[in-house]
Amino acid sequence: MIKEAIITDLQRIVGKENTLTSPEALKAYSYDGTTSWIEEPDVVVFPTSAKEISEIMKLANAEKIPVTPRGGGTNVSGGSVPIQKGIVLCTTKMNKVVRIDKENLSATVEPGVVLQDLTMMLMKEGLFFPPDPQSFLGATLGGIIAENAGGPACVKYGVTKQYILGIEVVLPTGEIVNLGGRTLKNVVGYDLLHIFISSEGTLGVITKAELKLRPLPQARKTTMVVYDDVSKAGEGVFRVLENGVIPNKIELLDNWVINRIEEMMPMGLPKDADAVLLFECDGIPEAVEKETEKIVEITKQFGAVDVRIAKDQAEADKYWLARRAGFAAVFGKAKTVMAEDVTVPRGKIPDLIKICKDLAKKHNVEIVVLGHAGDGNLHPAVLTDITNKEHYDRAVKAMDGIIEGAVELGGVLSGEHGIGLEKQKFFSKITDPVVVNMMKNIKKLFDPNNIMNPGKIWD
Amino acid sequence: MEDLKELKKVEQLADQCMKCGFCSFFCPVYQEDKIETSVARGKNYLVKQVLQGKQEFTDEMGTIIGKCLLCKRCVANCPSKTQIDRVVVAARAQMVKNKGLGFIKNFAFRKVMSNRKAFGRYVKMARAFQWMMPTTEGTIRHLPDFLKALGQGRNIPSMAKTFLRDQVKPVYKPANGQKAKMKVGFFMGCAMDFVFPDIGLKIIDVLTKHGVEVVVPEEQNCCGAAIYFSGDFETGRMLAEKNIKAFKDFDYVVTGCGTCSSTLKDYQKYLPDTEDQKKRYEEFEKKIKDSTEFLIDVLKIPPEEFKLKKEFEGKTATWHDPCHLVRYQNIKDQPRAILKALKGLKYVEMANADGCCGMGGSFSVYHYDLTKKIADKKMNGIKATGADIVVTACPGCMINLTDHILRSKMPQKVYHFLELVE
Ligand SMILES: Cc1cc2nc3c(=O)[nH]c(=O)nc-3n(C[C@H](O)[C@H](O)[C@H](O)COP(=O)(O)OP(=O)(O)OC[C@H]3O[C@@H](n4cnc5c(N)ncnc54)[C@H](O)[C@@H]3O)c2cc1C
Ligand code: SF4
Ligand code: SF4
Repeated sequence: MIKEAIITDLQRIVGKENTLTSPEALKAYSYDGTTSWIEEPDVVVFPTSAKEISEIMKLANAEKIPVTPRGGGTNVSGGSVPIQKGIVLCTTKMNKVVRIDKENLSATVEPGVVLQDLTMMLMKEGLFFPPDPQSFLGATLGGIIAENAGGPACVKYGVTKQYILGIEVVLPTGEIVNLGGRTLKNVVGYDLLHIFISSEGTLGVITKAELKLRPLPQARKTTMVVYDDVSKAGEGVFRVLENGVIPNKIELLDNWVINRIEEMMPMGLPKDADAVLLFECDGIPEAVEKETEKIVEITKQFGAVDVRIAKDQAEADKYWLARRAGFAAVFGKAKTVMAEDVTVPRGKIPDLIKICKDLAKKHNVEIVVLGHAGDGNLHPAVLTDITNKEHYDRAVKAMDGIIEGAVELGGVLSGEHGIGLEKQKFFSKITDPVVVNMMKNIKKLFDPNNIMNPGKIWD
Repeated sequence: MEDLKELKKVEQLADQCMKCGFCSFFCPVYQEDKIETSVARGKNYLVKQVLQGKQEFTDEMGTIIGKCLLCKRCVANCPSKTQIDRVVVAARAQMVKNKGLGFIKNFAFRKVMSNRKAFGRYVKMARAFQWMMPTTEGTIRHLPDFLKALGQGRNIPSMAKTFLRDQVKPVYKPANGQKAKMKVGFFMGCAMDFVFPDIGLKIIDVLTKHGVEVVVPEEQNCCGAAIYFSGDFETGRMLAEKNIKAFKDFDYVVTGCGTCSSTLKDYQKYLPDTEDQKKRYEEFEKKIKDSTEFLIDVLKIPPEEFKLKKEFEGKTATWHDPCHLVRYQNIKDQPRAILKALKGLKYVEMANADGCCGMGGSFSVYHYDLTKKIADKKMNGIKATGADIVVTACPGCMINLTDHILRSKMPQKVYHFLELVE
């Protein structure tokens, strides 16, 4: 428990109304989007400026109190769970879009801005911010930067780190620093900006960000490609790319997911298909037409059994809604879902899918696959029940197998969700000890007292 | 261990939530205060903690489950279809049961509203004292005491001089000597009865013009919305029984109040304690028709048949979706069909037509500052349409919209959609 006097100090800094200590409020800040990690903080604060955050950090640093930054609390790795208690520093009240600069295709935002709010504002200006984590309704820019989030559109546009020009950060010791800038090019010494991207809140609190934007594409077109073998779908992904078409999104749904979606909201997906791929092309209308034609041609050549081009945006929206529903479909079907985030080089997707299928058989568990096939980031999910020990143990074994398999294929443990608490076990197992040590030293440099989101990434 | 019988009924519903946080984008309350205990995910988590014996029904817990508009925006957009409204209402009911009505702090429900006659007297008395209250803009005045529920410096309509119940005839034959197509029971609802009796008469008039015989049973009662949504299930069930009895002889019960129609339909969802109750509430649900759906879906009147009243010619109208119509009953197309078909009226869709107006029954009593902020968004939506009139089909929304239109010094008038037709 932290001392009464600290609470009083915090109240002085952010105001009484922005300091929560009731047991109920603390419970509400004990979780994130995962099912397995819960810890209550001692206090939750809602600062409204970098200056306030600086004062909070100085106080916490002097008193050695853990501080866990939190945005929308949608991460799925335990990242915003205050595992060592202390202060949860919630940015949801710092949610202003400070400026939209059409000339420079950039925007300045506070960390608590929710992605969808930004998207709606940018749309009016004919602009967009390409990274599109599917949690856009709840995720904040601070959390998105801290997790280096990315979504389906990363096939063509890449992930968050390609769209951050600069940030303002409050260091664990209280200094307010600016990293990067507002220009596209910047080689002034070490690139410290990018150390903060995917730092999971362990190096400092992002208090402002300069985002790189793009003009909104004039046209988009969705194509659904049906396969009778999920491995062929995996092949379809890289065949399209190697033949020169870079769609904006390529997403995969397997048979199990298709059927659960159809149960939830019948929308005419092919229930007997082993898998479908959803492609979206965007850009200038003529190019979109041509690229779509090419996708149809190539996928047919490489084993697709059916190809449907959405005739209008309404039909396209239906398919993408189905894709988003996929997540809920999986989670609604089992007491505990171990959703992984492994990412392999694109050409290895069929191999990874095969590994999943074999492991499901070997351990007698259900493994479903849906994911951002276009970038090799699959989310194989093992369905289990944590209260059924025997089944859960088998599920854990299957999951270990998937991760080992992915790494053997030249892949990584996490494509977008981060390590947090959820993946620590594997992190230390598969990361070079020298590298881990470098990371720990960097951490020490920024955060000598280890108060910034302690307990995350490594044990 | 606390009694958790009411809560247990919704345990499975509460388990649906996978904590994705999407609801935060849609919850009008969270959008204002940005605190996790306000959003569906947080409320649901805390209720689950109660179920697991890790959280008690503290005052703070009462405040948290009270701070919900029951607007169902979260439910409509939840990928797991988590029914937070039912979880919240069950938690309120459990709390009332375990802690007494005190936590709602408004005993008026049980004492006054459940007794139709006493309520009428009470409101009359309130009206008699109205002259003592400061007059605000226009015809709108403050009301004392229980109607403080609607008070707090708000612009609320004065009570009707003569209540609907004192004006209605028991039976209305179809107009112009037509043969009765159908006989329906008319459910007045408190707001029509005490505040908008003319609208009630107007609805009866429209129905009889279309060949319907309308009967207004005297024994009917308050629908129970403010009561059971606040967790007083005992009084809620009592009202349910009274209303079921009052309308036992009808195939259809028609009302012009969106909240009433939804509340009467949903006895079966929120209230049943026994199998027998469940069965009877479900049978009752089948009879209930909101005026919007009754005209279009049951009577199947082609929308073009409705004629616009002279005084509205040349006006521009926009529609406000009451939560209790659009999300509780999926009624959104029927009123729009009529409005769009009315010759001489220009219809403009509001960008946030289905956004909650911020009333939320007793929510607006305890959280009027939040109500104001939520209503401001609605006001911006109304302004952007350029409409002269705002049309809806729920007197609760009408009262709240009028309050905030006046507060924002806007020129629009608010109407029930049937006030527009001949
Ligand atoms: C249904 C669902 C779908 C998802 N889909 C995707 C997807 O497609 N792609 C993807 O990449 N992710 C996805 N996610 C994961 C998650 O939404 C992202 O990680 C998101 O970026 C988290 O943002 P947040 O605001 O919720 O951050 P939080 O969950 O609050 O925090 C995440 C991490 O960032 C840190 N942090 C937050 N704010 C700051 C700040 N201002 N300064 C420093 N550190 C900070 C926290 O300490 C924590 O470690 C999904 C999650 C869900 C539930
Ligand atoms: S209520 Fe629905 S939308 Fe909200 S967190 Fe739970 S599952 Fe997600
Ligand atoms: S019903 Fe409305 S107010 Fe209540 S939690 Fe859901 S969105 Fe929020």
